[in-house]
Amino acid sequence: MKKILIIFGVLSLLIFIRPALGLNSVQTNNESITIEQTDEESSARFIDEAIGGIKQFYFYTGFANATSGHLLMIVIGIVFIYLGIKFDYEPLLLIPIGAGVIIGNIPFVAGYQTGIYETGSVLNYLYFGVVKGIYPPLIFLGIGAMTDFSSLIANPKLMLLGAAAQIGVFATFIGALYLGFNLPEAGAIGIIGGADGPTAIFLSSKLANGVNVLADGTVVKNLIGPIAIAAYSYMALVPVIQPPLMRLLISKEDRKIRMKPPRAVSQKEKMLFPIIALILTTFISPSALPLLGMLFFGNLLKESGRTERLAETARTKLIDIVTILLGVTVGASTQADIFITKDSMLIFGLGAISFVIATMGGLLFARFMNLFLKGDDRINPLIGAAGVSAVPDSARVVHAEALKSDPHNYLLMHAMAPNVAGVIGSAIAAGIILSFLG
Amino acid sequence: MTPTLLEIDQLSEGYIILITGLLIVFGALLLLSIFFKYGVPILLYVYKIITKGRDRKIKDISVAADEKFTGEIAAAIATAIHLYLHEKHDTENAILTIKQARKLYSPWSSKIYGTQNRL
Repeated sequence: MKKILIIFGVLSLLIFIRPALGLNSVQTNNESITIEQTDEESSARFIDEAIGGIKQFYFYTGFANATSGHLLMIVIGIVFIYLGIKFDYEPLLLIPIGAGVIIGNIPFVAGYQTGIYETGSVLNYLYFGVVKGIYPPLIFLGIGAMTDFSSLIANPKLMLLGAAAQIGVFATFIGALYLGFNLPEAGAIGIIGGADGPTAIFLSSKLANGVNVLADGTVVKNLIGPIAIAAYSYMALVPVIQPPLMRLLISKEDRKIRMKPPRAVSQKEKMLFPIIALILTTFISPSALPLLGMLFFGNLLKESGRTERLAETARTKLIDIVTILLGVTVGASTQADIFITKDSMLIFGLGAISFVIATMGGLLFARFMNLFLKGDDRINPLIGAAGVSAVPDSARVVHAEALKSDPHNYLLMHAMAPNVAGVIGSAIAAGIILSFLG
Repeated sequence: MTPTLLEIDQLSEGYIILITGLLIVFGALLLLSIFFKYGVPILLYVYKIITKGRDRKIKDISVAADEKFTGEIAAAIATAIHLYLHEKHDTENAILTIKQARKLYSPWSSKIYGTQNRL
């Protein structure tokens, strides 16, 4: 912490000294330097040129171009990295994103193909995968190859919890409309409530990409950066957001409900699941095809028993590569002059609310389901909170919370069912929003 | 005048999307869960009938004996096997001494290149 303070002290000193040295006017100096090459005394000219060169160099450095926005974003990037390392909140995401935020906010002189928003820059090419929605389906392929759907197959009614939590998506959508966003932007913001980073990036790259033109001639804003950052940072904060809501909405007795162990699921059922689920869900919501298609394809690779090599690659190397590229480019897309706006702040506010609503939707629907279930079949309402996707963090939070009220109640397997159903649910919701507004 | 009209229009469309969207999401997952509750057992039953001739031997295993075999027991067995298979220690001399132990160095017995030390 001390070191960070010292570094920032030095940085800010350098920036504040700048006016004192009279080095503020960038354009005027550039021209006067190169022309003075007449027959003056050579040593004086040399010194002049050297100073001019140094000045020119200075104007290209970050110190000359830094604004308070850049510094603020760099601090935020460092906070992300700190949170990832210190508290272990989704480090695989927060550390690439945090580093990306720093990379994206190094001040530079525009026009030399440096920045992520400049055509032709390397970062811009990498960002292409985000803008065109290429990375999210690849991530989903990996998630599919990682996920074990057996607890969902064993207890299919838990799928409804994954649907209930999607109320967060649609409530946020309405909230964003009330705050004055137009329909596609609101749709993209709403999907933050799906608590699924890839889905959020996929939908915002289709709806709020800064390219689409609305019927009344206005261009939609580019909200991919803020939406992705909001989605990922709240996903990382699931262990902070959810437990208070669980304690608020679920009584002590309900928290102690033990669920009967899920039945053993045969390999045939596991193989059938991705095929059937793929056909059913994409027939209903074809716009979600890139996401759901890859998700279930990945799962089929895992469960078929014949393609272990492909599944292994999908769930390790491939998803790692894509996560690195996705994290760092999403982070870098938060370039201060584009990112620090009123809209971003609103999106962050809405994102927090959407997580709260989604969690509450899941919890309350679980209680509602319990009204119809008896005896052994009753579910522990806490697992409703896992209906927001955020795999597997929210399931872990549910597990930890249940252990607090009954140290021998292991809910992790049960919570994984609504958890993976939430992934399917939010992808379907994204497909629906896309088909309405795309 | 027009902006407010537009806004109202947007909001009403928003509510339409809200209602239909939620219904579709619920519908889709409900359909999926119903299918897995009832459809898949039927499919598996049909499959069983089709391939009946080959499955004779499995019939001999009485199901009643397996009733108490829950997922938890399976998990315990799996954990035990996993732990057994993944703890391939070399057995080493447990006697600790501060005396200089005479060892002949050989890369074949080096601790640095041992299977446990992944560089």
